[in-house]
Amino acid sequence: MATNWWKNLVRSKVLLSRNVGERHLLLGNEAIARGAIEAGVKVVTTYPGTPSSEIADSLSYVAKDAGIYMEYSTNEIVAVEVAAGASLCGVRALSCMKHVGLNVASDALITLAYTGVRGGFVLVTADDPGCWSSQNEQDNRYYALLANLPCFEPSNSQEAKDWIVYAFDLSEKFELPILFRTTTRVSHTLAPVEIGPIHKSLDHGKFIPDVKRFVMVPDFARARHVALINKMESIKELNEKSSFNKIIEGGEKLGFITSGASFNYTMEAIDLLGIEASILKIGMIHPFPEQLVKDFVRRFEEVFIVEELEPYIENTVKASTINLGVKIIGKSNNFLPKNGELSTSIITKALAKVLGKPLPKNFISDISFEEIKKILPPRPPILCPGCPHRASFYAIKRSMKGMQINCTDIGCYALGIQEPLKIGDLLICMGASVGTACGISKSQERPVVSIIGDSTFFHAAIPGLINAVYNNHRIITIILDNCATAMTGFQPHPGTGLTGMGKQGKRVIIEEVVKGCGIEHIEVVDPYNVKQTCDALLRAIEYPGPSVIVARRKCSLLATQEKRRQGLKIIPYKIIDDKCKKCFACVKVLGCPAINTLNGTIFIDFNLCTGCGVCEQICPYKAIEISRDELW
Amino acid sequence: MVEKCNIVIAGVGGQGVLLAAEILGNGALIEGYDVRVSEIHGMAQRGGSVVCDVRIGERVYAPTTPDGMADIMLGLEPIETLRYLRFTSSETLIVMNIKPVKPVSVLMGMVKDLSLENIIQIINRYYAKAILIDAMDIAMKAGNPVVQNVVMLGVLASTNRLPISVNAIKESLKQLVSPKYLELNIRAFELGLKAGETYSLFRR
Ligand code: SF4
Ligand code: SF4
Repeated sequence: MATNWWKNLVRSKVLLSRNVGERHLLLGNEAIARGAIEAGVKVVTTYPGTPSSEIADSLSYVAKDAGIYMEYSTNEIVAVEVAAGASLCGVRALSCMKHVGLNVASDALITLAYTGVRGGFVLVTADDPGCWSSQNEQDNRYYALLANLPCFEPSNSQEAKDWIVYAFDLSEKFELPILFRTTTRVSHTLAPVEIGPIHKSLDHGKFIPDVKRFVMVPDFARARHVALINKMESIKELNEKSSFNKIIEGGEKLGFITSGASFNYTMEAIDLLGIEASILKIGMIHPFPEQLVKDFVRRFEEVFIVEELEPYIENTVKASTINLGVKIIGKSNNFLPKNGELSTSIITKALAKVLGKPLPKNFISDISFEEIKKILPPRPPILCPGCPHRASFYAIKRSMKGMQINCTDIGCYALGIQEPLKIGDLLICMGASVGTACGISKSQERPVVSIIGDSTFFHAAIPGLINAVYNNHRIITIILDNCATAMTGFQPHPGTGLTGMGKQGKRVIIEEVVKGCGIEHIEVVDPYNVKQTCDALLRAIEYPGPSVIVARRKCSLLATQEKRRQGLKIIPYKIIDDKCKKCFACVKVLGCPAINTLNGTIFIDFNLCTGCGVCEQICPYKAIEISRDELW
Repeated sequence: MVEKCNIVIAGVGGQGVLLAAEILGNGALIEGYDVRVSEIHGMAQRGGSVVCDVRIGERVYAPTTPDGMADIMLGLEPIETLRYLRFTSSETLIVMNIKPVKPVSVLMGMVKDLSLENIIQIINRYYAKAILIDAMDIAMKAGNPVVQNVVMLGVLASTNRLPISVNAIKESLKQLVSPKYLELNIRAFELGLKAGETYSLFRR
């Protein structure tokens, strides 16, 4: 029952610890944070995103004590630019994001590879094979190839911590940004980490102009591209002999090449099947250690490649060993899938099949799990009781009568697709709700709504809105402002004014930004006021141009926590039995999880109800009231 | 030293699955073992299904337990225990809290419920060793329903299947639980321990 602040305190002690040699359990993400502190990082930037968030969140918590400047930037490309600016002044900088965040940041990164950096600069990309909490499972190792930058891939917390320290050194030595790729199972696994010494680094630097190096007009860019290629040649030489790649010897019968999380599963699968095999584990996956790989592959008749998602290592190995006549077994032979997470089970089964080995005995179960699964009630994540998004969705549904098309966006409100409200017809990426709505409004007759959260609005909606004004797209944008980046752990954003250093700064007011974009029809509503919200929506439907409704109400989870902390009472609502006609509108139309039906009865769970009062407003028989007993 | 011990912990968001896993993982570290604890954040919000692995041994690589290889299934909630049974075999020790948390889909009348009797039947049909405990009841005796997770750790510690000593778990609790709640948690752990001990006596 540790409260969060206690957990934060415990972890921050570890992050700041001077006790070299001490061992602690750390998430891969926390290990990266600790490694950055050991490396003397001075500037940390991020836009939150699972599975990367804990890196910057934990650094935000200790920033002051560690002498770090930490900020939540408006989006990933801004985060990379801020960190790059710091690095160009000679201080060490870290930027962290989820895999799709690097799509946003890539424009800056790829040219930054040309200019290079000065203080060590490491960019962490946390990939999400299996889409645990993402809209795709893209393989960001290809960004290393695209930008032609060194890329590390650790397989556990200890490596993550140790390698980050080295990555900063390497970055400074070659004046290049370094990519550091983790996956969900590395970022979100607790594993032992041995604490190392904290190094000193520049607190403050200076910017020394160098036009030919830093101003990437075509002439200078051409020369810098050559400089990049040369640097990468030297790093490749280093990587051929580096200790980041290692061979676990197990004879000449079978060879395996793997990296990152896949290495862990490979080790266990080989052990489970009791086979003899040598394993080459690659730690720096770009620039690829071709000679090392060639010398390894040569020893075998067949080499298995074990990696998640794309056949990155496989294709690279094939290209460098084409003349050796060794059979390379990977994705192209359907040995392993190109999608999803791997696991010890998947690899064990695949290997057993190819090698004709019997499966471990526990793999063949006498229990029919499929049968059991069929009778299990599902328990998907849902919008919380009293969630203001639910109230907004209800108002949208009621005022638009299902006529509208809902372009939704990235955040908790994506959960709106579930029963009974089912709001969400299109979801692509951060900010896409606005742009796609523009196109849809031009191409068919039904009204189009774009639904976007507060943090996502600042991140990516502004160009879309300006586009809607400029090209006169008749769309209704509903900005669900719950005063936090709720989905990823309640990080602050420009609308809250709170900074990564824990200070209250200037708030950026959403409706003022919207006005500045040129939107003329703007209304701010409280989604807990159902009539007000519905009326505003009806006016927006009538309006002949682009319009915006800001539905502002603090996240109910956050608000409830705050009330509890302040010792304020939460007054729940209740259903008056005599008045209730059992129409079930509150359950079947609104669907607040605090309203329960059990054996034909209907009641509000006092422990779950946050007292938002939305159900009271929608009950056609006025059977829901605030519970008076609690008012005494 | 044991070769390897795989513990799968299943429950509902808000029940303290992650904390229970971390307490065990940290206890294993205190005992000098290598350990991996898997956590999945993100979409598993309050009220969603949560599963966590604690893998203990001399050397552990992967964070997740292969299908059928769980030595222990620690179920903080009956339906969620069933949901992750594919990690178990008939030799797995099941330690399950019999206090259900009804899924919203059931409470809203959208899907059919699965009764506790049904769940217990399934467990008893397939598993030789199962300890079924009302952790809510014990947690209330300890002083607060939120410590059900620590009660269950106590029950688990009463079996001889865990390679972590009672003292190491208590030490781990001391390190991870806020001093304000430590006494409550230790009480919950000890009540769980006692319940586990009398349970197995009773069963034999
Ligand atoms: S007042 Fe009604 S809608 Fe709001 S949280 Fe309580 S039960 Fe749910
Ligand atoms: S909406 Fe009102 S009348 Fe209908 S079931 Fe709910 S409380 Fe009863």
